[in-house]
Amino acid sequence: MILKFKEKLVKICEEFTDIKFEFHLKKWHTDFLRFYQSQTNYNISKSSLSLSTTIRKGKRSYGFSLDNPTEEALREKINEVEKFIDDLPEDPDYVDMEANCEKTAEIPKQDNRLVVDLEKKIEILEQLSEAVASLNYKIYGTFICNYNDTYIVNSNGVDKHEMNSPIALEVKAVNQETEVTVLETFGGENFKSFDLPDFRDSLVRKAEAGNNEIVDLEPGKYPVVLAPRCIAEYFMYLMSSVSARSLDSKMSFFEGKLDEQVFPKNITITDDPQHPDMMKYDYTSSGHPYKKMKIIEKGVFRNFIVSNYYAHKLKMKETGSEASALVMDTGDKKLSEMIAGIKKGIYISSLHYMNFINAKETSLTGLTRDGTFLIEDGKITKVINNLRFTEKISRIIENITEIEDKAVTIPFSQNYGHFGIDSYRMPHVTVNNFNITSTTGTI
Amino acid sequence: MKKLVNDILNKTKAMGVTFADVRFTSTDQETVYFEKGSLKHFGRAMDSEAIGVKVLIDGCWGFAGTDILNMTEIDKTIKLAVNNAKTGAKFRAQKIKYTPSKAVQASYIFQPEEDPFLLDDQIKLNFLENVAKKLTTDPRIVYSYAYASFYRQYKVYANTEGTFVDTIVYDVLPSMYVLASNGKETMSRTFPGHMNGRRGGFEVVRRLEMEKNTAIIMEEAIQLLDAPRIEEEKADIIIGGGHLALQLHESVGHATEADRIFGKEISYAGKTFIKPAMLGKFQYGSPIVNIYSDSTDKRGMGYHPVDDEGIPARRCDIIKDGILVDQQTSREIAPLLKLEPSSNMMASFADDIPLIRMTNFCLAPGKGSLKDLIADTEHGYLVDHTKTWSIDDNRNNFQFTTEIGWKIENGKINGIVKEPTYFGITPEFWNACDRICGPEEWEMHGTFHCGKGEPGQTMHLSHGVAPARFRNIVVNVKA
Repeated sequence: MILKFKEKLVKICEEFTDIKFEFHLKKWHTDFLRFYQSQTNYNISKSSLSLSTTIRKGKRSYGFSLDNPTEEALREKINEVEKFIDDLPEDPDYVDMEANCEKTAEIPKQDNRLVVDLEKKIEILEQLSEAVASLNYKIYGTFICNYNDTYIVNSNGVDKHEMNSPIALEVKAVNQETEVTVLETFGGENFKSFDLPDFRDSLVRKAEAGNNEIVDLEPGKYPVVLAPRCIAEYFMYLMSSVSARSLDSKMSFFEGKLDEQVFPKNITITDDPQHPDMMKYDYTSSGHPYKKMKIIEKGVFRNFIVSNYYAHKLKMKETGSEASALVMDTGDKKLSEMIAGIKKGIYISSLHYMNFINAKETSLTGLTRDGTFLIEDGKITKVINNLRFTEKISRIIENITEIEDKAVTIPFSQNYGHFGIDSYRMPHVTVNNFNITSTTGTI
Repeated sequence: MKKLVNDILNKTKAMGVTFADVRFTSTDQETVYFEKGSLKHFGRAMDSEAIGVKVLIDGCWGFAGTDILNMTEIDKTIKLAVNNAKTGAKFRAQKIKYTPSKAVQASYIFQPEEDPFLLDDQIKLNFLENVAKKLTTDPRIVYSYAYASFYRQYKVYANTEGTFVDTIVYDVLPSMYVLASNGKETMSRTFPGHMNGRRGGFEVVRRLEMEKNTAIIMEEAIQLLDAPRIEEEKADIIIGGGHLALQLHESVGHATEADRIFGKEISYAGKTFIKPAMLGKFQYGSPIVNIYSDSTDKRGMGYHPVDDEGIPARRCDIIKDGILVDQQTSREIAPLLKLEPSSNMMASFADDIPLIRMTNFCLAPGKGSLKDLIADTEHGYLVDHTKTWSIDDNRNNFQFTTEIGWKIENGKINGIVKEPTYFGITPEFWNACDRICGPEEWEMHGTFHCGKGEPGQTMHLSHGVAPARFRNIVVNVKA
């Protein structure tokens, strides 16, 4: 049915010559299990069918969306817009919509809501719950399977289809006496790569470490080992400076730094939407083929992310990248070696509530969460109450001294606006002089 | 719509539910956005309809929602909700106990003075274009925007206890922003600030006097480029209403959402430092601090006849004379704390599951004007207009940066400071509150963007506050 409606959109594009259209037709489902205290919190199933439309006439534009769209409702809206679009102010920067009609080879994918149904999810959660129960932990978290089917059609002949079905499992084990929390995650589109025994054993190892003595740590500068999801989050925030939009709004840290050495030579970051272990994307939101692109290469800043609009506005080349699938090159250290090299420092498992103080300077504040550990004489010895840092991302990256020899995929749910799941692939890193500015005094 | 909702309820009853409710929403949204003086986005999402079905079976919740409103899809949605509860119950050790409530029939329509959805487009476009163009008149302002978003939602709530309520509300979100640069550094100012959501129509936009304030924020952003930073370690701070609303929101509002006590939000939003034993005893703030949740106040975006699980609107004291006395609760959570449900279960749209949410969460006024309070301050800073906010998993350790601070010396403003950043521990901070301005300074602020839950929901809610003073606060945190 959605395909038939998409064909109608193509016809509408052909029919009108004085106005141009850009359509995003999206069918979306989620099966979402949220659990707490080793039991169901709630199960949610949601579905939607929506059409987002932008109509352009010259340099004027108007946008609207329709839920559960019909051709009749769409034509009625188009008629309405035709009556007033000439009265709207122009956007002097607008040139044209996406014109790249290249299609990528469609790889058949399965609907993971059917692969990992509610019964299967509960079976897995029961095993994880049982594994940590003897350590006085219960499990909390989410088990999500989404299904997205999207068509992008416009008057320049763009007619693209993309389907994906991400899975995200996030399990927090919480000690029922101390509230020490540890985290394990799985994400991707291939459930065959989910190794339950490995996931369970890792969660148990972390829970065991969480049963050590809890201490406070004085503010100061410490060497830290950042878990992959932490360095992933810093790069995620830094990506706001990589967009051409940030360049246009004078908020980019990278302004004037293209092809300059901005970070140490061991830092290479690639946006790789076809990586086999990640959530995969074929197209950007405008329908441009989404291709692998180096953002930072051996510490040199190589590319801004340039959409069709900003390519025209800033006279830059459209890049076909959205920084939704970042991969960091691995180094040559084992995690055990990284920890062994620290006399007194911190292992940080996860970050919480980061916000920029000044995005152009990359200064921000945030907290540790879900397992912060003291490293003494090369070993993890104690649990630390959560800590606040006030840092610059640029300085954190400059201070990376060691990189792990393997990387893992970390899922991130995009929780504002439309719910989606992205993934990054990162190793552990060691960072010197990490600026802890206060303790929370709580786990 | 009444028939459809009742038909759905009857179908759930036939499926053996302990309790069920059905919500329908039809939402209209419009945004006008100018950037650097040019219209960049004008768009509407009208008649965005959704249905949500929530059932309690075998002591477990099941929920399903859809915006595809045909009978085939609706029947599928009912079955999914029932299956989600029945299957979920297999992984549920403690059966949910549910507090019954009386049936309510009510209807409420908020009537804006100027309905933004009926107003001529040109009036809105011209109004904002005029503001936007004024923001581009100084070359030192390198980036600017001005926008307004308008929202109208028709909602029907019905449950198996016989409650049937429908409402229509209007909210508005106006804002403008400038970024000044001297080539090395950038400084920003916004207006009216971070908590810029209000109940109402276009009249709210007019009353803000955005045009008059363009010159003020441009000048302040430019002056901030050369302004000093706070150097002393600790100082007294007066927090202006716009930013104090966020301080209240983060360090008291979220902390007193009782679902956090039981870990229901650990996986995303977090926990709280509050434990059940603290109720009625814990000195959360100084004796002048009185904080309440009030879903009966029609001035705020949190007003409702019943919440999204059928509990009639209530005003509840949360902190009375500084003591923690109550929580924001649901029918499920309240009995676990021996409390009455507080009418705080809300969802953004019908296809979202209701969660414990702030409604109108307010700090009661004290006495005196802001001018009096400044005059009463020997040395300190007036800080306002949120720039950065961050608070820990337990809502205990927070750090905020505002766009601007005004230095106070001997009861008078004496210059500005850039990016004042203060840090505190929640109960210590609220116990350091020694003066709150009076009713003449008390105002409803609000947001459209309070995020909570998974899948995420962003809620419209309000905070009534007057500026207040806090003694001896850490103010010199730097990156």
